[in-house]
Amino acid sequence: MNCQDFLARLHPYVDGELAVEEMAATGQHAAECRNCDGRLRDEQAFRELLRRQPQEAASTEFRARIAARLRNERRRRLMRPWLIAPATAGALAAIVVLLVRFGMSPTTSLVDELVDKHNVYAQIDQPAELATADRPTIERWFVEHADLRVAVPDFSTAGIRLVGARLTETRDRKAVYLLYEKGSTLLSVFMVPRSPREGRLEGRTVTYRGHDYLTLESKGYHTVVWRDDHATFGLVSMLDNDAILECADRLRGERAAQNRL
Amino acid sequence: MVYLDVLYQAALRLTHSRADAEDIVQETCVRAWRSFHRFNPGTNARAWLYTILRNVFLNHLRHQGRQRLTDVESTWALEDEHETTHARPADPEEHFFQTVLHGDVDRALKTLPLTLREAVVLADLQGLSYKEIADVVGCPIGTVMSRLSRGRALLRAALSEAARAHGYAPEAP
Repeated sequence: MNCQDFLARLHPYVDGELAVEEMAATGQHAAECRNCDGRLRDEQAFRELLRRQPQEAASTEFRARIAARLRNERRRRLMRPWLIAPATAGALAAIVVLLVRFGMSPTTSLVDELVDKHNVYAQIDQPAELATADRPTIERWFVEHADLRVAVPDFSTAGIRLVGARLTETRDRKAVYLLYEKGSTLLSVFMVPRSPREGRLEGRTVTYRGHDYLTLESKGYHTVVWRDDHATFGLVSMLDNDAILECADRLRGERAAQNRL
Repeated sequence: MVYLDVLYQAALRLTHSRADAEDIVQETCVRAWRSFHRFNPGTNARAWLYTILRNVFLNHLRHQGRQRLTDVESTWALEDEHETTHARPADPEEHFFQTVLHGDVDRALKTLPLTLREAVVLADLQGLSYKEIADVVGCPIGTVMSRLSRGRALLRAALSEAARAHGYAPEAP
């Protein structure tokens, strides 16, 4: 073996990826050639440096989040027994056909879309388009900008303050987006006008104070959704489920009061 | 969950962001969990998880509209030029490794094109074999080897620059 052969085998040699005889021959060359021995030591030192790089462990908080997510996943799976059946291509195709026939996109549900929106705005410092805690101002703003009559609920007794509002596009429809915060945790309240093409809502049915809601865990967020004759309502937050259900109940109450006027 | 740390470390090295890494690992775990019935016991669980991780990562990049792997492929020419000017073959006289400071390797990795970065991360920081990397990335072993060799050369060049910036002066030839 000459030095050129050695150089060509240097990386796989250090990686231990050569056939036994080649390993031996390459090692032999290094033992006999000072130059190549230097190259080998240098390469080994370089790999040692890379191997020595501190590896950060996943935080316990993150582990807990993953564990919770997988637990939730298991629960969802148990609620949808057809998914346990071996997902043969045929069965999968059938599911897709069903979803399409019911007008539901198999890839993104409305809830996922709302979660994604929430996720985006949760990362922004000033997420509101209209930043105000004044409910009548927001209600007027929506009438002017979206021709929508909106009930802006007050969650302040629960320590959740109104930070503002924005208009957002969902499935080509203008939707109302109210933003609240508890500490620095964002709570998003969406109101999406009903449309004939909309799909079914996903989630686990939960009854709270006599009303049914659908709850779902998505990307670490809790969601609560429900519908009335005019709109689909969706709440998304990292806040715990009960707090969000309480907010949902108040919003429902606020709307009922508004409709009575 | 056994592999959570290694997945997290790989994701961290690919994204350079804890939040992104956590998102990616979380999604990887969920996807892996959902498709576990498709995993063939007796095959390599770690490589299988890395494959899912890589897909989630690419998807993540696409969502963010950042640099994509295809863009990287088209910059080969540029890299080759870079390599000839800066990354000479291993120079045994240059023992700058002691001068490498904490964080230098991460910063240097960040400068590597994605295909090269993932090869180096998987091989040298995560300890995967050529075969495993080829399976994860979906390319022939020869390609893995050439990416590793380019990636390591670029990494050395970047580290050597960093060392110089810290005041390391190579001995005069």
